[in-house]
Amino acid sequence: MKILVVIPAYNERESIVSTVERLKKEAPGLDYVVINDCSKDDTAQLLTAHGMHFIDLPVNLGIGGAVQTGYRYALAHDYDAAVQVDGDGQHDPAFLSVMAKTLEEERADMVIGSRFIRHEGFQSSFARRVGILYFTRLIRLLTGKTITDPTSGLRMIGRKGIAMFAKEYPRDYPEPESVVELLRSGGKVLEIPVVMRERQGGTSSIRFRNSVYYMIKVTLAILIACIRKKGE
Amino acid sequence: MTLRLKIILLLALVLVLILLTLRVRKRQLDLRYTLSWYFLGAVLMVLVIFPKLLTHAARFIGISDSMNMLFFCGFVFSLVIIYTLTGAVSKQADQIRDLTQRMGLLAEELREEKEKNGEKNGAEE
Repeated sequence: MKILVVIPAYNERESIVSTVERLKKEAPGLDYVVINDCSKDDTAQLLTAHGMHFIDLPVNLGIGGAVQTGYRYALAHDYDAAVQVDGDGQHDPAFLSVMAKTLEEERADMVIGSRFIRHEGFQSSFARRVGILYFTRLIRLLTGKTITDPTSGLRMIGRKGIAMFAKEYPRDYPEPESVVELLRSGGKVLEIPVVMRERQGGTSSIRFRNSVYYMIKVTLAILIACIRKKGE
Repeated sequence: MTLRLKIILLLALVLVLILLTLRVRKRQLDLRYTLSWYFLGAVLMVLVIFPKLLTHAARFIGISDSMNMLFFCGFVFSLVIIYTLTGAVSKQADQIRDLTQRMGLLAEELREEKEKNGEKNGAEE
């Protein structure tokens, strides 16, 4: 199975090199591409200096547009699966092989690495867990499927997901919305337990100031995804 | 409406329409997005010249003061214009995103190609 690791990076100078090095060491044989989302720091120079494989976006697109670039690359280069691994070192590459195995053997369209199956490792703050639980309940209400960690950035998708997301992918806070879109199109979404670490550098895209906007925007996006006609 | 107010409003409207046309002529404004402004100007001009129309329209939808009717019309038009702009911005954001991604992907392809060629040349030497 040909797998592409997509690593979105925005101002990740402190952790991008170690993230990629760790990936090369712990998941050898996997292709990867860093999407430098027009970082203001020297992320691009670091990537060039270390001879890493990357795509440089000339304009900042936000996490959705950056990850979608990776999916477009995966589609163009005929990959069987693509997995998002955040550039801040939160995601452990050791789980990638289990995810790939699950995707292949269970014929799933998406495998999510969830923090909340075994409750090990970094569990995020209380407020965030409440927010995540709310999305889990909302998605269960609307689709009947239980996704314990719908905001997880560690996700692997197969060919169907790549084709779908390369064409249309939410711009900001894309994780819960895209899960719902995949579920609505009849996709099979599975979760496996993973352990995440606290981010090693940079700042989260969701700060407290934005959290109200985040909750409202993602709720609306999920609701609209549910009234969209299939294939739209 | 006094004659003085009528003349002032008409002059102002004509001035705005002239400025608008000049900017379109210099291609600083896209005629496509300017049409709604022309339309707004035309309607306002008719209403200023024939204020009776405004009084009738106001009475028809139950507004007692015809000046309020004018404000109401202006407000509704502004909303329509803002709405079309929201649509235009959304479309352009999509187009910019698509272009940005294409550019990033192309630049990567070019770099890879160069590297490959560099390796070949190195092997030949």
